[in-house]
Amino acid sequence: MSLLEVSGLSIRFGANEVVSGMSFAIERGERFGIIGESGSGKTLTSLAIMGLLPDGAAMEGTIMLDGARLPRLEREMARLRGKRIGMVFQEPMTALNPLMRVRNQIAEAIRLNIEDSETQVEVPRLLDEVGLELQHGDRFPHQLSGGQRQRVMIAIALASRPDMLIADEPTSALDLITQRKVLDLIAEICARRQMALLFISHDLKAVARLCTRVAVMHRGKLVETGEARQVFSAPQQDYTQKLVAASRFEVRPQDRPAIGRTLLEVDGVTLDYRQNGFLFWAAKPLRAVDAVRFSVAQGECLALVGPSGCGKTTLAKIIVGLDRATVGAVRLEGVSYHGSDLPKALRRDISLVFQDPFGSFNPRLTIGDSLGEPLRLEPGLTQADVKARLIEAVQAVGLHEEMLDRYPHEFSGGQRQRLAIARALVTRPKLLVLDEPVSALDVSVRGEVLALLARLQAEFGLTYLIISHDLDMVAAMADRVLVMEAGKIVEEGRPEQIFAAPQHRLTRDLVAARLPDIGAAPSSP
Amino acid sequence: MRRLFSHPSLAIGLIATLSFLAIGVLSLVWTPFPIEQINIPRRFLGITPEHWLGTDNLGRDMASLVMSGTWTSFLVAAIAVIIGMGVGVPLGLAAAAWGGPVEWLVLRLSDFIFAFPAIIVAILITALVGPGASNAIVAIGIFNIPVFARVARGGALSVATLDFVAAGRLAGLGNAMIAWRHLLPNIMSLLIVQGTIQMSLGILSEAGLSYIGLGTQPPATSLGLMLKDAQGLFLIHPWLTLVPGMAIVLIVIALNIAGDGLRDALDPRLRQENPNVLA
Repeated sequence: MSLLEVSGLSIRFGANEVVSGMSFAIERGERFGIIGESGSGKTLTSLAIMGLLPDGAAMEGTIMLDGARLPRLEREMARLRGKRIGMVFQEPMTALNPLMRVRNQIAEAIRLNIEDSETQVEVPRLLDEVGLELQHGDRFPHQLSGGQRQRVMIAIALASRPDMLIADEPTSALDLITQRKVLDLIAEICARRQMALLFISHDLKAVARLCTRVAVMHRGKLVETGEARQVFSAPQQDYTQKLVAASRFEVRPQDRPAIGRTLLEVDGVTLDYRQNGFLFWAAKPLRAVDAVRFSVAQGECLALVGPSGCGKTTLAKIIVGLDRATVGAVRLEGVSYHGSDLPKALRRDISLVFQDPFGSFNPRLTIGDSLGEPLRLEPGLTQADVKARLIEAVQAVGLHEEMLDRYPHEFSGGQRQRLAIARALVTRPKLLVLDEPVSALDVSVRGEVLALLARLQAEFGLTYLIISHDLDMVAAMADRVLVMEAGKIVEEGRPEQIFAAPQHRLTRDLVAARLPDIGAAPSSP
Repeated sequence: MRRLFSHPSLAIGLIATLSFLAIGVLSLVWTPFPIEQINIPRRFLGITPEHWLGTDNLGRDMASLVMSGTWTSFLVAAIAVIIGMGVGVPLGLAAAAWGGPVEWLVLRLSDFIFAFPAIIVAILITALVGPGASNAIVAIGIFNIPVFARVARGGALSVATLDFVAAGRLAGLGNAMIAWRHLLPNIMSLLIVQGTIQMSLGILSEAGLSYIGLGTQPPATSLGLMLKDAQGLFLIHPWLTLVPGMAIVLIVIALNIAGDGLRDALDPRLRQENPNVLA
């Protein structure tokens, strides 16, 4: 008998069916993964299992735990949630109580579920199991890093010794190195406790790393299910094939103009933030960028990689003229500036593509108005010129000119990112700074956007500065890679060379944290 | 438009508010009796077919007085809201867009104004130029300025962190253009909701100011003035107090319901058009 058996699960909001006819079973101790893009209904499925569906959701079908239907009464369901099923959420900061020491939060979870428990003994044991020190228990959530918070969440989920752990995108808010550590921890704990795992993610590689069996969801339907190895190496359905192909960034090399002379030079740029009273560094200014020095040549694609908070986005902001360096200067074709004093005549030569396609358009302006905004930098364009330039830009990114009259909410994430690229191209810039251009996009459209970027580079001889933490994407796109840590550039080289023989400690960690390509068997911990 | 009426509280609030407003507007062209017509022999009449709400201590028709008073209340509160928005919103936007010393100045200025309740401002104005409806408008308007400045600044600050504002800066827009093109349209719903709340507060303030004799002066009338006229007779003729009192209560409730409904309808965070956002 399976531990969890879901049959014919449908969830609807009014007339809108968001999950339809889901059926799957999870055996004891099995690690099961659900893969799906945003909006595919994977999170709702997990909430249905926990009995935590939002108001207004109607559920059909049956969910059996250990051969018994889930109780209807909220009181009994609450007991069950604690005792039998543990859950780890996506964003640990909002899932933890900010006003309680984490030790007490773990103790609370134990007391609620196990009678006459010895929390003094149990809490240190759990902290140790998730790889935290005893002293971390005395801290408040905001004093812990993202990875540590997620470890606390796992400890809370484990407190009741559940038969099954549900992890909903547990690592998507974490950076690459932490992500790998948390995934390894989950795998290790599941193996040690013989606990079943329901792992929900859009990241095929993470699922491939953890799970033995997977289900692929698309628009609320189960598309394919089977052994992880089989699904990833020989996907049967079109959609799965598309997903698997998209997760292996294969940007075909194109005929590109040769790399020319130096376009942009960053010369000893340093940025200090003054900050009042933040944790331990109350008075000392925070050095976000520390004497960074590099150059980008015409037609080159340079990547800047590093963990979150290493200052790479701040550096990009200085280069495009949104922030101002404390010391040092940037030179664009010999013209020197310090950031926000970028001369207006040069602004059209540098464009920025933002990370989040949903925040980068004003919801109250039409796409045409938003796209036309940078053309203010080119005085003397007539109405017809502007129109022609907009159409040219929209067509260059493979979209239709009719879209100019529509509003941002009508477009999907991938389309918006294309439009954001179109906006960056509209002034015909020389340098395009791309801040995590695909990390907010669904897996299946990432490949398309990267291919578009490669094509545009070949077509217009663009120079790219890509900022990312995604090594696979960087390996596929970049000519040269800079590795950044705590505001300093610590390593530089060609991608093949850096990833094959990393020198610096951080680079080695980053390369080691890279998840194995899918299709390979999940390594047993 | 259909979205607006899918919220029942909004529909009820708006319909109630608009009917009070219609009664007020009607009083400009027609009232059952002229409000300044004093007719002592017919005073303290109860509800009669001729006088729908009776007559007051001077024999004036209560229905006409309530209609006219409703108009005064709306007019005073609306103009005060317009003053508050007209001055406060640009100040708040400037604080958010420029930051630094401008922001400091705006915040300290609004602290300063906050320190004086509308009544103190009204007493000050009365001491300078004498009582009257326009003084009430100015006093309540000044009181509204910091409220709108704070709401506009708060809303604009949260919008200003979004990428499209940075994109606007990259396109070479100055602070004023950023505020006008990107910040203001995105805080409009916030301001409309705050506007309805300030409307109802303004109606209460007007009633309060008229009651203590700093607002509307006879022969014009307002709901607060009617309360004041009736208070000495409350134990003998409670009806004269109840009518304007109930009118104030109902108008304020209608405006608050409409404001709550507007917030639900306009706030995208509370709007659940697409349940898929959960997944």
